[in-house]
Amino acid sequence: MPTFDFLPLLWWGLPLVAAPVVIHLINLLRHRKVPWAAMEFLLASQRKYRTRVLLKQLLLLLLRVAAILGIVLALAQPRWKTALGRMLGGARTAHVVLFDDSYSMGDLSADGRIGDTSCFDRGRLVVERICAELAAAPGQQELAIGRFSAFERTPQKQPISNPPAGEQRTENRIPEAQDAFDFRLQAVTPRLVQEVRDELGGWTASAMAAGPRAAVAAAAGVTGGGSGFMGGGSGAANVIWLVSDFRAKDWKADDETVALLRQLSDAGCELRLVDCGTEAGDGRQPGNLTVERLEMAGGVPATGVLVPLEVAIRNNSDRPVRDVAVELREDALGRPGVRIAEIPAGGVGTQRFDTRFTQSGAHLIEARIATDAVAADNARAMAIDVVDRVDVLLIDGDPTGGARAGDAFYVATALAPGAGAPTGLRPRIEPPRSLATLDLTSFACIWLLDVERLDTPEVAALEAFAKAGGGVVFFTGPRTKAEIVNQSLHRGGEGLFPVPLAGPIDLLPNAAAGAAAAPDVVVEEHPVVAVLSGQRNPLLDAVRIERSMAVERGFEPAAASGLRRLLSLRTGGPLVVERPYGEGMVVAVLSTAAPTWNNWARGNPSWVVVMLELESHLARSRRRAESLEVGDPITVRLEAAVDEIEVDVAVPPDGTLVHQTAVASPTGVLEATLPATSAAGGYTARWRRLDGTERERIFAVNVAANEGQLERIGRERLDRTLAGVAFKYDRAESLQPDTTTQAGVPLAKPLLHLLAAVLIIEQLMAFSASYHATFRGRSPA
Amino acid sequence: MTPGSRRYLHPEAIARIARLELRARAVVEGVLAGLHRSPYKGQSVEFLQHREYVRGDDLRRVDWKVWGRQDRLYVKEFEEETNLRVTLLVDGSASMNYGSGPLGKYEYAATLAASLAWLALSHGDAVGCCQFDDKVRASVPPRTKRSHLASVVEVLETPRNARPTSFLPALRSLAETLPRRGLVMVISDLLGDRDGVFQGMQLLRKRGHDLVLLHVMDDDELDFPFEGPTRFEGLELPDSIACNPRSLRAGYLAAVEEFLVDVRTRAAAARCDYSLIRTGEPVDAALVKFLSRRASMAV
Repeated sequence: MPTFDFLPLLWWGLPLVAAPVVIHLINLLRHRKVPWAAMEFLLASQRKYRTRVLLKQLLLLLLRVAAILGIVLALAQPRWKTALGRMLGGARTAHVVLFDDSYSMGDLSADGRIGDTSCFDRGRLVVERICAELAAAPGQQELAIGRFSAFERTPQKQPISNPPAGEQRTENRIPEAQDAFDFRLQAVTPRLVQEVRDELGGWTASAMAAGPRAAVAAAAGVTGGGSGFMGGGSGAANVIWLVSDFRAKDWKADDETVALLRQLSDAGCELRLVDCGTEAGDGRQPGNLTVERLEMAGGVPATGVLVPLEVAIRNNSDRPVRDVAVELREDALGRPGVRIAEIPAGGVGTQRFDTRFTQSGAHLIEARIATDAVAADNARAMAIDVVDRVDVLLIDGDPTGGARAGDAFYVATALAPGAGAPTGLRPRIEPPRSLATLDLTSFACIWLLDVERLDTPEVAALEAFAKAGGGVVFFTGPRTKAEIVNQSLHRGGEGLFPVPLAGPIDLLPNAAAGAAAAPDVVVEEHPVVAVLSGQRNPLLDAVRIERSMAVERGFEPAAASGLRRLLSLRTGGPLVVERPYGEGMVVAVLSTAAPTWNNWARGNPSWVVVMLELESHLARSRRRAESLEVGDPITVRLEAAVDEIEVDVAVPPDGTLVHQTAVASPTGVLEATLPATSAAGGYTARWRRLDGTERERIFAVNVAANEGQLERIGRERLDRTLAGVAFKYDRAESLQPDTTTQAGVPLAKPLLHLLAAVLIIEQLMAFSASYHATFRGRSPA
Repeated sequence: MTPGSRRYLHPEAIARIARLELRARAVVEGVLAGLHRSPYKGQSVEFLQHREYVRGDDLRRVDWKVWGRQDRLYVKEFEEETNLRVTLLVDGSASMNYGSGPLGKYEYAATLAASLAWLALSHGDAVGCCQFDDKVRASVPPRTKRSHLASVVEVLETPRNARPTSFLPALRSLAETLPRRGLVMVISDLLGDRDGVFQGMQLLRKRGHDLVLLHVMDDDELDFPFEGPTRFEGLELPDSIACNPRSLRAGYLAAVEEFLVDVRTRAAAARCDYSLIRTGEPVDAALVKFLSRRASMAV
């Protein structure tokens, strides 16, 4: 049975259907009377054409009745329930309310200032109104309510399209989609309305950046294809309410969300889009600052050393902001904050600060800015595992091992100069064969110092280490054999070594003398040597390179190889190059570490600076804190036979303890997993070891920074983005729930086509029945 | 000219006809001489001149008085004239009431009749007139006096009773009352008793009358240009039809065409001079056309 969006129009319009008949009857009364002499001819004609004329007139009358009926029906916006089962199912309507609870819904901005009512509050009122209207609506109304964040967390991935013929949708997926709903589909009763009202009162905007895709996909999964819990001959018409703030970032024309909505629309679902967003009174975007990044900016996370940190604030507005104060906390204790002088409109302002940890273990750094329109993105946390000393593996190619004048000595001295200048690093010098025996994962960086040869297992272990994110540094020297390096380590670009070697060459002495002499080393643009770049550096000018390893003539790195120079020779040849390898980074220094082929390490402070920067640069990937967003699971990996399997997780903001028991993962690793995080902040996992000692690890979980972009799509762009999708758009304030509307295939358009056809036929018929005036004709007075 | 005659005698029409008559006289010595085939010869004579007798001249035309005075034989020559008796029969039935233009069918027919009467009287012909419907309603016998036109107009202005047409009684009555043969001109729309028309015509024809049938029809009756819902109510028939006229137009025109063909055929069979005249046509133009055609027939 068809349903009508504007049923009252139908009731008001239906009497108009009788208009042609009434007009016909009136015309009978209004016939112009003509006294006529030649009646015999008229009677003869009437006798001849009576039947034909009557039929034409009747048909014309019917066409006119049909035309008016068509207009009335089109205005009433009819919909046809798609399935036969729905025809038999009666007037049952299933309403699915998808409620955006992403943190941008917490936007309090109103007319360029911070107000009292958030988008979320308006959304709650909308849901309440929908429920109340449904309770009072005729027919059987069913309701399901779900929040974006729940769908985002739900692992279900419903297929967009119907499954291929013969393939049944698995039974266990549908419950997942249903479970994501706060209220599963059920008949609307006063009790349910009260329950929803009570529940809504406790809801707040989540800390997630959930977009509409997952929610719409869940709705498509349960409504599309007729096999979901709402469809499939249940007799229900589907109405999907999307209550959201409609941020521009969530709506792209070629997005999957749009495809899903189109599919729903085509399947006969009625789409109601309710906009709870704030319209900027002055036409400007609402201002919002987001703490976008908080991370280590190099350094070594060890006790007693300065650890450089960097905080970045994004200005999500169309005007610059000045003097942004960033409040900092370290392990829940306040510490001096920083200020960012100016952040341009739409840009990012960064500020570095240092900290020094006195105790090893897990530490939590937090940055917070002043309250603005959206509170959720005003803070960011970062977890750092601080150790007493960070081991650095030095593979010494000198068979005598650790000679005072050897390469390892100079590198180790640079990395750990002594107690007066703590770096947090602890060099460990080992022979090449230890590569195959040591657990390399405990190192962030491995230095290979003029190693003559590496066996295959050692090369494999080293490559696996680099691929997993480790940093590797090669120093060449007298023992380095170019052909061996090329064969075992470079391997035509497949191996670790960044460049193929040709052999050692001498750098001819500089012809010029004194200040006019060009330095042997040229600084390239790279963060490791950034401290030496710019004006000529007297420390670097003092470096003399006598010999280096030449790169094969004609070597041209592949464009995508990422090969990059750090330092070059004055002759133009490379001295230090790097290339990414897997997740890690490999650096090749084409000279010696010890003052054998150069004098750099001999009393030149720049040597120490560059080596420490190099270590920090290569270890950055390993030391980068695990980036978790709200909604991600937290996984604590335990050591079997070392750790107990019970883990307590203190959940922010109030430190509620959640108990988890570790289980073996498919890969055999013992893991305790908190399935989904719901709040931003530091999650502290604590467990015991079998020896009774207590372990602790902190996970920093943050909101997704891009949700702080409050730019709204607006009605016009939404219309363009959803071109071809039938939907109704309402502002939350002006929403008329109109719950009597039942979804179905919209018939207005085909009806209009039919109407046009009827009108054309009517005109042709009227012409045929001689009802059109002619220029020579005489109309009744 | 009486007020009544002014009503039916349009000065312009008379002027044009008069000019035509002058032109026609040059050829056939009088329009009406070409208008009919007069059954009388030499009844009306007017002295023209004398000429000397030649062998073969009718001795009855010898002027014996001149012979007595001059002893020479002269014969008298006279201007020969026909002495025509024209009887105008004008249909005054209800169907003649219809009219879409300034003149209804009856007014048109009466104007036509009055014009012809004036024309005939102006040439010394005798003109009689008869208005009839289902019987003769008014009539006046043929007279030649110019003042007789008033009597003719009086007959034409006789109030009519919206009666149906019945030609036969009127024509039969006329055939019986007309003492001498003459020209009988019937002016009618021929709606109604069509058989009666031609039966009456046959009667007149048998008595030696020359017959002219002027068929007057309104433009609407011939073209049927009506549009929009219309109720046609019969002027003579009791029927009425409510219809969309355009839907019946084709059938109507076909029936009219059939009617006209039938009338022409039967008029030809009765040796009746038939002319169809549309009321949309000016009276003078219609008369000129009719008289021209008659003149060409006479030549």
